[in-house]
Amino acid sequence: MILLSLLALPLVGYLLWLVWALVAYPIPLSYNLRSLWQRKVSTLSTAAAIALVVGIFVVVLSLAQGLSVAFISSGREDQALVLRPNARYELNSTIERDRMRILKVHPLVQRDDAGPLASAEVVVVKLFPVADGTDTNVTVRGLESTGQRMRPQVQLVEGRWFRPGLSEVVVPRKMRGRFPGLERGGTVRMGGRDWAIVGTFDGGASSYESEVWSDVNDVMQAFRRESYSSLLVRLTDAGRMEAFTRAVDDDKRLKLEVVAEKAYFKELTKAGDPVKVLGNLITLILTGAAIFAAMNTMYAAVAGRTREIGTLRALGFRQREILASFQWEAVFLCLVGGLLGSGLALFANGIQAGTTSLQTFSDVSFAFTITPGLMAQGVAFSLVMGLVGGFLPAWRASRLPLTEAMKGG
Amino acid sequence: MNANRFDLGGGEPIITLRGIAKSYWREALEIPVLQGIDLEIPVGSFVALMGPSGSGKTTLLNLVAGIDRPTCGTLEVCGHELNDLDDDELAAWRNAHVGFIFQNYNLVPVLTAFENVELPLLLTSLGRRARRERVAEVLALVNLTDKQWNYPRQLSGGQEQRVAIARAIVTDPDILVADEPTGALDAKNAEEVLGLMGRLNADMGKTIVMVTHDPKAAHHARHQIHLEKGVLDRAVEVNR
Repeated sequence: MILLSLLALPLVGYLLWLVWALVAYPIPLSYNLRSLWQRKVSTLSTAAAIALVVGIFVVVLSLAQGLSVAFISSGREDQALVLRPNARYELNSTIERDRMRILKVHPLVQRDDAGPLASAEVVVVKLFPVADGTDTNVTVRGLESTGQRMRPQVQLVEGRWFRPGLSEVVVPRKMRGRFPGLERGGTVRMGGRDWAIVGTFDGGASSYESEVWSDVNDVMQAFRRESYSSLLVRLTDAGRMEAFTRAVDDDKRLKLEVVAEKAYFKELTKAGDPVKVLGNLITLILTGAAIFAAMNTMYAAVAGRTREIGTLRALGFRQREILASFQWEAVFLCLVGGLLGSGLALFANGIQAGTTSLQTFSDVSFAFTITPGLMAQGVAFSLVMGLVGGFLPAWRASRLPLTEAMKGG
Repeated sequence: MNANRFDLGGGEPIITLRGIAKSYWREALEIPVLQGIDLEIPVGSFVALMGPSGSGKTTLLNLVAGIDRPTCGTLEVCGHELNDLDDDELAAWRNAHVGFIFQNYNLVPVLTAFENVELPLLLTSLGRRARRERVAEVLALVNLTDKQWNYPRQLSGGQEQRVAIARAIVTDPDILVADEPTGALDAKNAEEVLGLMGRLNADMGKTIVMVTHDPKAAHHARHQIHLEKGVLDRAVEVNR
């Protein structure tokens, strides 16, 4: 980060100087804009290349953000997950029934009229067919009715919640597009039996939008589980998290681990890491190519306008004025691409997609959300490309030997 | 022959060259272009620099115009010792004192005739309105008011050169330097451009130094200075 800041510092200084030059230096901007327009073909092809890169950059950012939002919005400050020590994820965890009973009546666990706010849950994965013809693991969560109340971001939008003992499931609305056959009224086959789809829920952009929910005992029976996977508890106060963690640690009967729900989901955001790494790698390679394209276009512009540059110098324009002028030309060229690319990225807005989490080996659904902030980052990215790609050609333009330049090269 | 003794008429010298030499280097090989040039050109002169290719006339013009520096010698133009000026000062000096007329006009193709003429004024302290008035004035002088919003590609060669002349005089410089100003023009347009330069010299008192191969063009000057292999060969007063 420090290294990045050190690298960015001269770039920011240079940009500030350019902004000042734009105001203080006399070469009119219209000269550069018209020069770009005069070379329409090379300008537009370079801008298109930059637009492509910026579009991909914005979509990758959106992907990273979509995944983060999915997990971060899943957790609450005053809720904790209890897992087997070192299990890290619910899928790897097992908790015996007798320990559940001890935990549910812990004095630090909040209670309401219906009893303790604690939900014993089981998490399994089931292979579901995807619309593209492949299969992918989907998390199936068995939970108690308390578990629904503890997740207020999850709202039923269609039908009703599942009832215990009837082999019923509810599915997230956002999964329906990607997974055929998840319509209300249909059935899914899991654990050797058919389950009726009785409702659809909206997960409020949380990771629950990647899960099929049913009754905890039904799921345990169907999948022949003797133990739960986790216990979700709401504490009497968010500030009691440490005390609850210590209490569970110290209780020799339990041998369990407490993880703050927020921290748990933060860990799960790593699900997107492989996709992000791949996306960043592709962006990096394409960025190199785009900078090269911008540089090449600007070198060609300088070569084609050598006499023009010589004339400007002869008329009295200084080297730094030529540098700023050509640098702005490169920046504008890239900004055109940046604006186009950010606009192109809008086509990805709202598209539902999924990735397989390497932590849970199951599908994580998310939606691409192209926000104005991300688009602004795309445009800023193109500005950096303009600065980097345009610097050497602009430097060359400003340093052309005057007598040679006046002759036209 | 001693170049100092060239008689270009009376008057205060506006251009003074003393012991000027210019060499270019090709790796370790020195290529002398000008040697031992001593010359004074009085205010208000119209001088044609002539000589065969490679004789150093364009190099001499570049030195006088402050776009190249001599290898040795001193060069005083418009009261400034050019060797003492750094690159930025020299650029400012050119803008204030020298107007350029090129063989290929060297207009910026993406700017209109008006904008091309306005370019040197952007470096001055003149405001937008004063600039516009001044540009209109010089465009009227070269009889191109009706073409002021045309781009160079929409003008004939003669019109382009007249725009270039307007650009050269818009800052009211002391000296006009012209490198083969009629080299790309047909006879009619060449005559028109040379007539205009003659009027700038006669009516406005501009000192003009013009490089040319063309004896007809040189005939419009009041003096012809011939260079031969980098040295001043002879000066001739033109009889009309």
